[in-house]
Amino acid sequence: MFDVVFRSWPLLLAATGETVLLSVASGLLATLLGILLALGQLFAARALRYLVEVWLYVMRGVPLLVLLFAMYYALPYTGIDLSPRVGGILVLSTYFSAFMAEIFRSAVLAVPKGQWDAARGIGFHGWRLMREVIVPQALRLASASYVNTMIMLVKGTSLVSIIGLWELTLAGRQIVERTLASFQVFGAVALIYFVLCYGLSLAGRYLEKRFSYVH
Amino acid sequence: MSIESGRAAIELRGVSKRFGSVQVLNRVDLDVHRGKAVVLIGPSGSGKTTLLRCMNFLEEFEEGEIRIDGEPLGYSDDGTRRRRPEREIARQRAALGMVFQSFNLFPHMTVLANVTVGPVRIKGLPRSEAEAVARELLDRVGLGHKLDAYPGQLSGGQQQRVAIARALAMKPKAMLFDEVTSALDPELVGEVLAVMRQLAESGMTMVIVTHEMAFARDAADQVVFMSGGSIVEAGPPDQLFHAPQTERLQAFLRHFREGYRL
Repeated sequence: MFDVVFRSWPLLLAATGETVLLSVASGLLATLLGILLALGQLFAARALRYLVEVWLYVMRGVPLLVLLFAMYYALPYTGIDLSPRVGGILVLSTYFSAFMAEIFRSAVLAVPKGQWDAARGIGFHGWRLMREVIVPQALRLASASYVNTMIMLVKGTSLVSIIGLWELTLAGRQIVERTLASFQVFGAVALIYFVLCYGLSLAGRYLEKRFSYVH
Repeated sequence: MSIESGRAAIELRGVSKRFGSVQVLNRVDLDVHRGKAVVLIGPSGSGKTTLLRCMNFLEEFEEGEIRIDGEPLGYSDDGTRRRRPEREIARQRAALGMVFQSFNLFPHMTVLANVTVGPVRIKGLPRSEAEAVARELLDRVGLGHKLDAYPGQLSGGQQQRVAIARALAMKPKAMLFDEVTSALDPELVGEVLAVMRQLAESGMTMVIVTHEMAFARDAADQVVFMSGGSIVEAGPPDQLFHAPQTERLQAFLRHFREGYRL
């Protein structure tokens, strides 16, 4: 009954590779962009701060699928024609960077005010104050929501199949079209997503424990 | 930096500050002389903590000036009263050690790291040298055996003693204490006061905000009574505690005698 899964295994594996590549690339970009946006929101001059905020509201208020359609159907009219892969990574990373930004910003704000006072009292300021005192504590505060958002991102990559980017979900659909074994194939696809995300959760748990300290 | 002899280590002239419509500091003048311990007392909301935080520029103030060894704190010297660049403010803050009511140790660092991070990162001291200084200071506050502990593993009194060592490690010109025993269980207050007493005897310049009247009486060179954002009365402890001149100080001390049987 599950022959079909075994027979299409090489295809599923290759597609999983593409999903992982998409996730890693968009995850890294989203994190980087999220940090920049959070810093902008926290420390930038007022005009830039408003700009960042508007951008974040738009990104959080529009569905991922609509953004993908906008990139795929509308962008070419402006003369920008991206490959599905590059476009997919760009949309995924900008979309999720908005959530990352919020996580990082609130984590920095959640570090008690006394920590800033103490660091300033010693003579820290600027980047060094952030690096030595605030960021290590903020990272720990952010870790759970960060891993959560990463899991959403991994699952979000399945949406790019709609714009024809070949990854795990699209590969699954193609195999089903040929074999009609929808239960087995989508079961296998679901299992692969689950393993990826569960692995992320475990890694998150481990990191949380690693970086925890007694309060 | 000019150190003029005879000049107070910390000079406040006409320092005023408001939070919205509330005048929290009203033209405060104060001299803290080198090697002296000045204790600020007064009812809560009288502005003592705000005044102390101004001395480390953790609070800005709209009027007046504060000079540390003659150098104007926080604002430029040229008459424009422009805020100094952060780097300069940081340098000025580093010259004063501050200890807080809520300890504010860095929870992600060991005790040793808490005490060495300033000297290493701010002053650029070699780690080995900073650690030697830290060990000696932690020994002095009775915590030489807790170097590798994290703040969360220490009692409040121990944390506060580490915080004092952390401030001393920067070799400050003066130490500022902001109600450092108010968050402690009563049985832990003594160990922190003992360290402060020892510091005062060693000739450290200190400004102390406290509700510990017995400590103020015994350890202070000068006691300053604040109320409503102004200094109401100041003088040697004997005079303030035993011959208060103003109605407000008399009332304040009466409250304390009733509550604490001083």
